[in-house]
Amino acid sequence: MSTTKLTDEAVAMLPLEAGRAELLEEIMTTVAPDRPVTAPESPRRPSRWLVPVAAAAAVVAIAAATIWSQGLLPGEEKSEVASPLNLPEGQGIVLDAPGWTVDALNSDGIMFRKGQAELEVTTYDAEDYDSYVEDREHIYDPPAPGEPIQVLGRDAQMWAYSPDDHAAIRVVEDGHWLEVRGSGMDEAAYLDLLDQLRLTSQVEFEASLPNGYVTEGGRQAAADKIVRDIRSVSGKGFPGDTPSFADGDAKDRYQFGAEVVGAYACAWLESYANAVSHDQQGQVDEAVAVLGTSREWPILREMDADGDYPEVLWQIADEAAAGDLQDSYPEGLGC
Amino acid sequence: MRQRLEEREIAFRRLYAEHFDAVLGFALRRVDRPEDAADVTADTFLVAWRRLAHVPPAHETRPWLYGVARRVLANQRRGDRRRSALGDRLKRELATCVPDTSDHVVQQADVVAAMRRLSGRDQEVLELHLWEGLESREIAEVLGIPTAVVRPRLSRARSRLREVLGNDPPPAGHLPSKTPELARKERP
Repeated sequence: MSTTKLTDEAVAMLPLEAGRAELLEEIMTTVAPDRPVTAPESPRRPSRWLVPVAAAAAVVAIAAATIWSQGLLPGEEKSEVASPLNLPEGQGIVLDAPGWTVDALNSDGIMFRKGQAELEVTTYDAEDYDSYVEDREHIYDPPAPGEPIQVLGRDAQMWAYSPDDHAAIRVVEDGHWLEVRGSGMDEAAYLDLLDQLRLTSQVEFEASLPNGYVTEGGRQAAADKIVRDIRSVSGKGFPGDTPSFADGDAKDRYQFGAEVVGAYACAWLESYANAVSHDQQGQVDEAVAVLGTSREWPILREMDADGDYPEVLWQIADEAAAGDLQDSYPEGLGC
Repeated sequence: MRQRLEEREIAFRRLYAEHFDAVLGFALRRVDRPEDAADVTADTFLVAWRRLAHVPPAHETRPWLYGVARRVLANQRRGDRRRSALGDRLKRELATCVPDTSDHVVQQADVVAAMRRLSGRDQEVLELHLWEGLESREIAEVLGIPTAVVRPRLSRARSRLREVLGNDPPPAGHLPSKTPELARKERP
């Protein structure tokens, strides 16, 4: 890649007027979908749920912190907890294929992995079905319906992004539909894998998850245990009220751990910042002492093998101890 | 219907005029051959034209376009060497024009080289931040992940760049073009 990185201003000065104008006209002479300008918002929902659990630098896995950024504080009343994977009540999905494991999980999808091959199952509400199908038809030029196949016993359409990347959209069932995308495998392997997907009960689904996944009913108890373990090292619980962790999106241990330990650290950092601004040295010292034990917090040591969230937290704790806490610390932890 | 089509064309011309430089710049900063940037730009705006009703308004437009361009670029890198059927003239022009870049680079070569030593993930958020001048929220829109995920990733990436450079990372990017130069056919 060239090391010269032009600014947009420099790009604007390039003598490209003719090519630029011609491209505009070329594009506008292609057939655009005849769609009213008041069409619904983009149905393309990038795979926001794809939270690598262990493979990558899993600071990613603090996705759970979004419940705060969305204005939902722990313990605050939130909308009804969705059934797993946003499937009809009581349903789950398992993949009965040797060597495939659950790689990521969220409230609207699950990702299975085997080496470099991935199979993503994402669930959507019925109202988005038509627009997604229309969108996927544009994978082909000219746009075309997908090849009819069966997914989990129902009709579906399959498109190929490339010879080793396919997506299938299954018809709506009980107000939901799902898309299954398989990459790193050819069409035959993809179809074979689809045959090994199975709808299950919620109980069987939860039982199929690897150890460490946090079930809906087990969240609060798991959080209590994490906080107890931290307290055994730091000597302190939360500086104020202990928040509830009964509701939330995190399902794997790393995300859930980040949700709990993040809340704990954020509470102490906020206490620290308040004490500094009010010149309350005793409270400053107390917060620094608590945060100073963070390298020994069991949950962070556990998470350290899977991602970088602990490193970020330790760095921020060190900054507080040095009297150099940056204003941007809430961004680092998702406070 | 006719009026609707005209409105659509007007809206697209405006979008193209406002964001062409940014999309082409985004692509040019990430490809080896300038002609490849023409392909990325053509396909990105083709998607925008086909999905105009889905393009978000105002400040969300550019991150949306960057997100599309990013996917187009990813396909290109994955080996999809299909050339866009559009933009031949732009390709020819880009292949021959040699800009004087001395005063118009978003990053000096040593910083670019240092960024290459980071992981792909760190590099991508830093590029969006330093080259496109995007903040965490906008980067999240481009990448399709939560803002709360981007923030620590960006913070960490900056720290790592600082370690590689041995000093503070450069200030956050250049300003995106504010006064786009309209091509002849885009002018009212």
